[in-house]
Amino acid sequence: MKAPLSWLREYVAIKIDPKILGDKLIEIGLGTEKIYKEGGETIFDLEITPNRPDLLSILGVAREISAIEKAPLKLPKIKSDLLNLKIKKPLLLKIETDTNINPRFTAIIIKNITVKESPKWLRDKLIQVGQRPINNIVDITNFVMLELGNPIHAFDYDKIVGSCMTIKQAKGGEVFESVDGITYSLPKGAVIIKDKDKIIDLCGIKGGKNTGTYQETKNIILRAPVEIPTLIRKTSQALGLRSEASSIFERGVNKGGTVDAIRRCVDLVLELAGGDIASTLYDIKKDEFEPWSVSLRLERLSFILGITIPEEDVINILTRLNLNPKIMPNFCNPDKSKKSDYKKIRMGNLIECTIPTYRNDLQIEEDIIEEVARIYGYNNFPKTMPIGEVPTKKIPYFKDYKLDEEIKKIITSAGFSEIYTNSLISEDDILQNEEDPSQYLQINNPISKDFKYLRQSLKINLKKALIQNMPYAKHINLFELGKIYLGKNIKETSEKYYLAGISNIKSFYEAKGVIELLYRTLGINEDASTAISIIENGVYFQINITDMLDKVEKNKIFQPIPKFPPIIEDISIIISTDIKTGDIIESIKKQSHLVVKVSLLNIYKDTRTFHIIYQHPDKNITSEDVVVVRKKIINHLKEKFLASLK
Amino acid sequence: MRDELINIKNIAVSFILDAQDKKTLEEVRMQFLGRSGKLTIAMKNIIKVPIEDRRDIGQLANEIKRIVEEAINQKIQTLTKFITEERRSKIDLSIPGILPEIGHLHPMTQILYDVVDVFKTIGFQAADGPEIESDYYNFEVLNIPKNHPARDTQQTFYLNTRDTNLNPGEIILRTQTSAMQGRVMEKTKPPLRVIVPGKNFRYEQVDASHGFEFWQVEGFCVDKHIRLTDLFGTISFVLGKLMGDKTKIKFATTNFPFVEPGVDTYIECTVCKGKGCSFCKNSGWSEIMPAGMIHPNVLRKVGYDPQEVSGFAFAIGMSRLVTLRYKMDDLRLLTNPDLRILEQF
Repeated sequence: MKAPLSWLREYVAIKIDPKILGDKLIEIGLGTEKIYKEGGETIFDLEITPNRPDLLSILGVAREISAIEKAPLKLPKIKSDLLNLKIKKPLLLKIETDTNINPRFTAIIIKNITVKESPKWLRDKLIQVGQRPINNIVDITNFVMLELGNPIHAFDYDKIVGSCMTIKQAKGGEVFESVDGITYSLPKGAVIIKDKDKIIDLCGIKGGKNTGTYQETKNIILRAPVEIPTLIRKTSQALGLRSEASSIFERGVNKGGTVDAIRRCVDLVLELAGGDIASTLYDIKKDEFEPWSVSLRLERLSFILGITIPEEDVINILTRLNLNPKIMPNFCNPDKSKKSDYKKIRMGNLIECTIPTYRNDLQIEEDIIEEVARIYGYNNFPKTMPIGEVPTKKIPYFKDYKLDEEIKKIITSAGFSEIYTNSLISEDDILQNEEDPSQYLQINNPISKDFKYLRQSLKINLKKALIQNMPYAKHINLFELGKIYLGKNIKETSEKYYLAGISNIKSFYEAKGVIELLYRTLGINEDASTAISIIENGVYFQINITDMLDKVEKNKIFQPIPKFPPIIEDISIIISTDIKTGDIIESIKKQSHLVVKVSLLNIYKDTRTFHIIYQHPDKNITSEDVVVVRKKIINHLKEKFLASLK
Repeated sequence: MRDELINIKNIAVSFILDAQDKKTLEEVRMQFLGRSGKLTIAMKNIIKVPIEDRRDIGQLANEIKRIVEEAINQKIQTLTKFITEERRSKIDLSIPGILPEIGHLHPMTQILYDVVDVFKTIGFQAADGPEIESDYYNFEVLNIPKNHPARDTQQTFYLNTRDTNLNPGEIILRTQTSAMQGRVMEKTKPPLRVIVPGKNFRYEQVDASHGFEFWQVEGFCVDKHIRLTDLFGTISFVLGKLMGDKTKIKFATTNFPFVEPGVDTYIECTVCKGKGCSFCKNSGWSEIMPAGMIHPNVLRKVGYDPQEVSGFAFAIGMSRLVTLRYKMDDLRLLTNPDLRILEQF
């Protein structure tokens, strides 16, 4: 939304520097993207939040400035009084509408106009806000929309066959050519106007080319409607077609503003294009669309905001916002659930606001509280901390970040650097991993085919990361702790955190050691080797962290250090290379409780040397004790593995 | 005897002084103080000295033994010092150290841990939830019905519904960690102080300041009496801890359907110190933390009574924090696995 400074000044005096005004507007909710100069004019480029259609008009922005600058608002003077019209030779128009799909239809006919170029002031205003002047009639309708915020469309009366307008919803597939010459196939449900034999308007979005205003147009129908936001939005999205009007309608147009918009429009048409009013005012409406009231309790205001603002200041702010506040005694206990407390006592004052129809966003007490707070100024508030007790109960979906930190500490200490990669991958990624894309969850509307599937492993991205680093680094150790997304279809999805690492320099045993250390730290009793695979460029490992965390045993119990000295010896045995070292170690351990630790010292051809520690927790052991155990070990290894002592 | 002892002392001391290394010194020690060392033997011979002189000679011998031992000890120290100094002098101190080969935590993780720690000090627990989410938790429960214009700001990825009877559009990739508000609140009762770090997805073309995957920390606090000033206080505390106490922040009004009043938080641009630069689009300020008081409709939807409890909610853009702390000007750097980037952190 572009708002030129001089245009704003037609409705409100602005004395402060535009930059300062921009900062003030940001504070009250009018995101000022930038302020720039063009052709000697200062222009505010504003980002309007979806709840404020009224700010998609210059007058709406001026109202906000009036409220913060405490400067009176000068409304445009409207002359035409269309309510008591006596028309001598009216032009006929039959309107068939349905207020359920078109809540308000305000229109009037003007005859004998002269279509020509707009005067300079009007063309300049449109150019300043980035619009292209067309002709006086089209320009007037655009000007009034920009000024007041109610979109208006002008139809060429003579091109409407049968002098009738029928509002209905499209069946789907109808062809419609917009005023700018683009053809659309309409989606089902689009609200349209038809004359006797064709579609003449795509309501709330674009007028039809067939009934637009051109050089030869003599008689026009001006229509200012109220549309249903969701219907407009659906159609606009389906067609990928946006207009200034549709932005206003889908946010909710000022339902009480259509008549004034038509009056303003009539004033300007009569002034700039001549002609005469040729019909009474049509105003077919579902409702009266009058202002409504919302009340505010001062206690509630203090409760939510955390500060007490004096009543007169609240009244002052609400008055500046044109919300017509009135102080009323509040006799009701707002808390009706506690019946015993229900007494008809005066509970302080209630401020009743009458909400102008352009402020559709103000519906509940909290909305009024925000109005007071933002004009009071968020940056004038004191700062406090929550006063209630700190919750101690464990929350649902709790995640222990200490564990996360511990895991990453171990992995980084082992030399692995952390990366974050995308969860979305391509079909090629899956095929390269020799898997079936149909077994993957997929996105219906990917931004590109590179990001169509949800990953089921971290391997693909880690492999890519390794390769990317190869030209620059010799030692590459990378890891990621991230989610994978399992399940063939969305009914049976499961998300798991995985820890995965890749290295081009670590051996299998080094990788295994890292995972053993991780398991030991977390108290997990599992075989680390199953997590590791050997890949073309080195080693890769992955661990299902989600499942592992269920098994974490953090309660470590202190083991006293042995009081009695151990006897340590190395035994070399000749044993078939087919026998697993792990099995040998297990067998040795089983031979006596005196064997407290066995480790492999080295392997040379078919000879393996084991380092054995013998110890008794409660007494000294002698070499005679060890001789007995050693004999047992060797005999056992002989029997079980056909091993012999070297 | 007296002369003999003094003679031994003189010889011993001169040997000690001459010794050039610890090995020679040890030989000297053995030669005089060893089991058959000269001084040891001389002391054994004191017994032969006439009884009237024995006490004096004995004292002298002990004194000499002490002198010799001290001389040896001093020489050991001198030699040690000499050796270490000589060793150090042979070292080229300008050669860079050999770094232990440790890995690096991603900058986002480092900041995330800081965020979690800061919130922990004021009683916030962390939660973790699904990224494949329903339209209900992502939008509906947050007062964003279907066809609400606010959905425009959060363009959504929809999951393929094949082999199910689910409607297309029902299951999405969450666009905001706020989706966890409903999930946590409907399962428990206030008081609640929760943060939810996590990944979100939005249909956006990738450029320096946009990505289709991004990280956010959602937070919310609900209790009998939570006030807007508590929100201002909490945000100030947290940003002060994360970005430094001198960090300037300011608040502005904004609109999100799930808060009322709505708050936006701006932090003075750390790159230009508020002067205006390309980081902050020349405004001097960077939007960092949208927030607000939880809308009564949201509280009602999860079964709370908005007249009984109130709360605030906020979201922190993680990538914005990384940008501001490390002055990284391109979000794409965060998913670039180049070790030359990672090793800087």
